[in-house]
Formats: sequence, C-alpha cells, structure tokens
Amino acid sequence: MSVLSRTSWSPYVAGALAGMLLVLSVLVSGKYFGASTTFVRSAGYIEQVFAPDRVKSLEYFVKTTPKIDWQWMFVFGGLLGSLIASRMGRDFKSTPVPPLWETRFGPNRIKRWTTAFLGGIVLMFGARLAGG
Amino acid sequence: MNILLYGLVTGILFGFLMQKAHVIRYDKQLGALMLKDFTIVKFMISSVIVSMIGIYLLSDLGYIKLDIKSASLGANLIGGLIFGVGWGFVGYCPATAVAAVGEGRWDATFGLAGMLVGAAVYAEAFPLLKESVLAWGNMGKITLHGILGINHWIVIAVLTALFTGMFAWFEKRNL
Repeated sequence: MSVLSRTSWSPYVAGALAGMLLVLSVLVSGKYFGASTTFVRSAGYIEQVFAPDRVKSLEYFVKTTPKIDWQWMFVFGGLLGSLIASRMGRDFKSTPVPPLWETRFGPNRIKRWTTAFLGGIVLMFGARLAGG
Repeated sequence: MNILLYGLVTGILFGFLMQKAHVIRYDKQLGALMLKDFTIVKFMISSVIVSMIGIYLLSDLGYIKLDIKSASLGANLIGGLIFGVGWGFVGYCPATAVAAVGEGRWDATFGLAGMLVGAAVYAEAFPLLKESVLAWGNMGKITLHGILGINHWIVIAVLTALFTGMFAWFEKRNL
C-alpha cells in the first residue's frame, strides 16, 4: 500500500514495468501499445453525427472504421489509471495552466488552451503521416 | 468482449505507471524538448529495453509474432517533423494527453480536441498524401539486424549497452 500511495516512482522502474506490461499484453492479447489510431476512430465517430455521408466516402475512415476496439479501451484506461494513481498518491490537482507555461507566458487560460488546441491539430496530422 | 476488457485493464495499469513516473506532465515533456529534464526519456527507453528483450525472446521461442511497421522516409521524416512542432505547442503526446486529464490537467482536454480535429483533417488529406509523401522512399518492413545482416541479439545487446551508458550520463549530469 505504501508504495502505491507514494507520489513519485523512479522513471526507470516505472518504465521497466511498462515494458513488462507491453510484453505481457502481446503474449496474452496479441496487442502492441498505441494511441493515435484511436483518435482517427473517435474523430470518425463524432463526424458521423454531423456528416455521415462524408465519413462513408473517405477512404481513410473506411480503412480505420469508427468503432471501439482494444486500443480505444487501452487509451481510455490510461485516463482511469492516472486518476487512480493520482488519487492514491494525493497527487491529483486541478491544473488549468501548467506551471512551466505560467512562468513563461502568464496565467491566461485562453492563451494556453488555444495553443494546446492548435498544437493538437498539427501534432495529430504529423503523427498519422508518420504512421504513429 | 474479453479483448475490450484486456484493453481497459492494460490501459489502467499503463496510466498508473505513467502518473507515478510523472511523465504525463507538460513541464516534464517540455523539459525533455528543452534538453533539461530527461524523465520521459528515462521512462520510454527503460520500457524499450525491457520490451525489446522480452518481445524477441518470446518471438524466438515461438510464442508471439512480431508486428513490424513499414518504414517510409517521406512519411516518417516529414510526419515526424510536423508531429514535433505540434508536440512543442501542446506539451503532451496523444496517450499522455488522455492520461494528463486523469490527474487534473485541464489544458490537455483542449489538446485532445485539437488532436481529434487533426485526425479528421488527415482523413481529408489522405488521398492526396497517398500519391505523394506516403509513397516517397518506402522501404517496407525493415529492421536494423536485417539491414546489417547480423543476429538480432547483437543489436539488442549493443542498444542496451548504449542506452545504459546514456542513463549513466543523465544521472551524472543530473538531467
């Protein structure tokens, strides 16, 4: 219990455990870790609501069908795992603007959130292009 | 149904480890990009060493099959550069952005919204990219040991030694 409620684990130890988790996952479920395909499936899911015909007509959404699969649950599980870990370690903290950002660019939320949003568009376009 | 449950449990454990290692923090991700704090690199490379050994061991024993991705110079290089620019602005990569919300980092939700838009934009651009960037320098499913024509355990041993040396250097420099 004491280890689980500690706020900080060595990145080497946690990383090595994550490596073991990956090996176990491949052995048990045949699944390697990934996240960005889930964003394609989810984007298709959302776009379907507004423009179902458009989604059906795009080759990329036909290839990567909007659905909930192993990876989708893996990514969602990541949120729960982080919530559990931060609660156990009394490390959960409502943080609208990251400390490092605040020291450099100030506490303005709109500025930070807009940057994160626009950066997210660029990041995901690059990730999908690179195949990750 | 079972496979979805496996995904959820694996994700919970992975998210737990990422939170404890502090890698889902904007400050740590930017710290690595500014070459000042290599926490996320320590986490990633430790994971690579262990899984590289484990995966090849199980593959040699015939328990699992490898899933090697195709290398495409155009897609990997240009996509990687674009990803890097976006990453510098968001401060979270896709998986860490989701996990960051779990420890209360609300700015990550806006990053996630942007990522969904980015995926939709990519779907629109895909037909054009398929004929251009994605076709440039496609080298198929290559591996380091395949190119060098040596046993994979030599590559694993050399990489493990290099990574361990890098860790020692990080610790010496307090990075």
